[in-house]
Amino acid sequence: MAPSFLPDFRTEAELAAHQLAGLQWTVRHAYEGSPFYRGRLERAGVRPDQIRSLADLRRLPFTTADDLREGYPFPLRSVPTEALVRIHSSSGTTGTRKILGYTPKDLADWTHFFARCYEVAGVGPGDRVQIAVGYGLWTAGVSFQAGCEAVGALAIPVGPGNLDLQCQFLVDLAPTVLCCTASMALLLAEEVARRGLGDRVRVKTVILGSERCSDAMRKRILDLLGAEHLYDITGMTELYGPGAGIDCPHHQGIHYWADYYLLELLDPESLAPVAEGAIGEMVVTTLAKEGSPLLRYRTRDLTRAIPGRCPCGSLLPRHDRLLGRSDDMIIFRAVNIYPGQIDEVLATVPGVSSEYQIRLETRGGKDFMTVTAEGEPGTDPEGAVAGEIERRLRNQLLVSVEVRLVPYGALPRSERKSKRVYDERSG
Amino acid sequence: MSRAALRRATADPRAEAQLGGLRWTVRHAYEGSAFYRRHLDAARVRPEDLRTLEDLQWLPFTTAQDLQAGYPLPLLSVPRNQVVRVHSSSGTTGKRKILGYTRRDLAEWTAHFARCLEVAGVGPGDGVQIAVGSGLWTAGSGFQAACEAVGALAIPVGPGNLDLQCQLLVDLEPTVLCCTPSMALLLAEEVGRRHLRERIRLRTVIQGAERCSDATRRRILSLLGAEHSHDLTGFTELSGPGAGIECQKHRGIHYWDDWYLLEILDPETLKPVAEGAVGEMVVTTLTKEATPLIRYRTRELTRLLPGPCPCGLPYPRHDRILGRDDDLFIYRAVNIYPSQIDEIVSESPGVSSEYEIVLERRYGKDRMAIRVERDPAGNPLRDEAIEAELEHRIKSRILVSAEVEVVDYGTLPRSSDHAQRVFDRR
Repeated sequence: MAPSFLPDFRTEAELAAHQLAGLQWTVRHAYEGSPFYRGRLERAGVRPDQIRSLADLRRLPFTTADDLREGYPFPLRSVPTEALVRIHSSSGTTGTRKILGYTPKDLADWTHFFARCYEVAGVGPGDRVQIAVGYGLWTAGVSFQAGCEAVGALAIPVGPGNLDLQCQFLVDLAPTVLCCTASMALLLAEEVARRGLGDRVRVKTVILGSERCSDAMRKRILDLLGAEHLYDITGMTELYGPGAGIDCPHHQGIHYWADYYLLELLDPESLAPVAEGAIGEMVVTTLAKEGSPLLRYRTRDLTRAIPGRCPCGSLLPRHDRLLGRSDDMIIFRAVNIYPGQIDEVLATVPGVSSEYQIRLETRGGKDFMTVTAEGEPGTDPEGAVAGEIERRLRNQLLVSVEVRLVPYGALPRSERKSKRVYDERSG
Repeated sequence: MSRAALRRATADPRAEAQLGGLRWTVRHAYEGSAFYRRHLDAARVRPEDLRTLEDLQWLPFTTAQDLQAGYPLPLLSVPRNQVVRVHSSSGTTGKRKILGYTRRDLAEWTAHFARCLEVAGVGPGDGVQIAVGSGLWTAGSGFQAACEAVGALAIPVGPGNLDLQCQLLVDLEPTVLCCTPSMALLLAEEVGRRHLRERIRLRTVIQGAERCSDATRRRILSLLGAEHSHDLTGFTELSGPGAGIECQKHRGIHYWDDWYLLEILDPETLKPVAEGAVGEMVVTTLTKEATPLIRYRTRELTRLLPGPCPCGLPYPRHDRILGRDDDLFIYRAVNIYPSQIDEIVSESPGVSSEYEIVLERRYGKDRMAIRVERDPAGNPLRDEAIEAELEHRIKSRILVSAEVEVVDYGTLPRSSDHAQRVFDRR
């Protein structure tokens, strides 16, 4: 039997004991290894030996993206530089680029829980995995590849873009799994359809990372590729990279690896925990990370916790799909709106495709929001559908929105992340 | 290796291990790959026939055409579900080479690549800027895995993007740079233009995948303020880069004869060349599982270097790669490799490392024009003297006439990948 990458905790209490040990280790490691963290903890009046229960997490100070920038080029580093064997980085120029260092153990842990993601998505020996994400400084390519090799699947490291090459490998090596961003998956699925390759493509599973994706877009990707399952994988460069969690075949939320990090959901303004099931900012604290541990790191990503046990039986907790970033939050006529909420509404209306744009303008001193959505292929955009979307948005968001329907394909596509919000308001 | 040397070698435990690897490889290929079985049956060789290393000569050759014919997973000698990665060279369907790797293949590759870094003096405390491609290409992931294995810090920048390269050279102060010679020159000149030499800490440049003249090497080192330039060998069919490297004595390339056997053969007769003569590198792997190579004709040319290296390493040496069969051009009935022109340009004071060769046909006669850049500190008034000197050396060494023209520094195109030097317009 193939080795399993899932943890073997039998009860929530066993998991909590593991978490407490990890939290205690992390706080001591950061305190002893990083002048930055030591200063922060001292200012907050917290010593490592004061962490006695998981509730003591709330005593720890927050860490932000600004702290990462100030610590450039090796922010939050808690081991000597000689102990680092790799860096990865997000985009940006000197001073704004985030560079994170990894020890050999960090890389091994990352590969282990990435392999767990594949295992949960049912990917293993005999599967061939086309990896259409970036390599080099980016975290994605190399971790999708290492995870593949760990579960014994075949990694086909095509990299991002290049639709010709992607189609060539989809046909010639008949991969069963495709990994990429949602925008890239849609672009590739449409290209497969345009070239009439549907019957020659064997993709069963699509794993999407790093971008929000509406249900309509999901359905379209699966239909065009003839695939069965679509999984959302989470992660960010600061937290190793992709692989921090994934939905199971029941698709009832994302299981996250609570044995590697603690997740809090906090109100972005008050920084207090949100009510159970409410949308909040994900704040993470690592439990085993050596190179650059995270203490209450504010990710700016929004989601909500999903209570109860998943039908799959795993006791690893779940959160909802990512519902946008707290930076993307639109304040429109004094109402907080997240683009993810628009996704959710559009997905409920028949005859509408998954692509949309939000435009905010000021006319005559008053703010207006226009949502431009695409009709489904082959349909004429009808006024009735636009009216229906307006009605549902008003019910959900409690604000008035103008909806314009345009023909399918009229909105721009992107191989990476599509820009959806255009805020052109004055003042 | 000469036949006599092969015989002598079989007395020692290294040769015993090689023979074991050879026998394992031939049996493994015979049993695991329908292609190899047909191929070996046609040559009337059975695995049990291999009794000494000398029996290598009875094995049939494998060529790039065999790889193409086996597309998409040529030479595959294990069940498909044991393959955990593919890498590929460039090319379209049918021309592209896709090679599979088992877990053990990846581990062996990393171990031998790590040995390359160790020989170049790279280890814990070194930052290694990796300016080569990843993904389907073998180079990026090979360098990265090897770095991590020796405990150095991998900085996987990828190819191109001079702004980013310069930024990380300054901000992370890597001590080692890995790229093609073309990219190294481009980056070194950019470092010179931006006056960053005093702000960077490069000590070692490791370059592969392309021939590099001594002049280019010297220029790269001086612009970067680095001390050592190491040529690294390898190719996708043999896992990727990491098949051998120059040691710090810089007397040729040590290759890993516990990983593959190297024959140097005459490309026409396919017989061993005289000791020390130039010939085609033909390799046979000793441990490779997914796609073993049996007498694979690499088309790359070099010569063996006899005797032990002053560095004391027990691994045999070959010269730098002197070109490819395919690079050879015939001019007025003389076989010429661009590396011969490299050598002559490299020895000439007053010119830079960059040159190009243009072959044209005028009035029914072939003409070779060589354009070479003046050294940045050179005096244009000396151009004519340098042209005459170079023409004389080419005539006396290669026995052909060429017209040499010295052009301003920086006028010839630079490339971040492979520089094209020969333009055949005949």
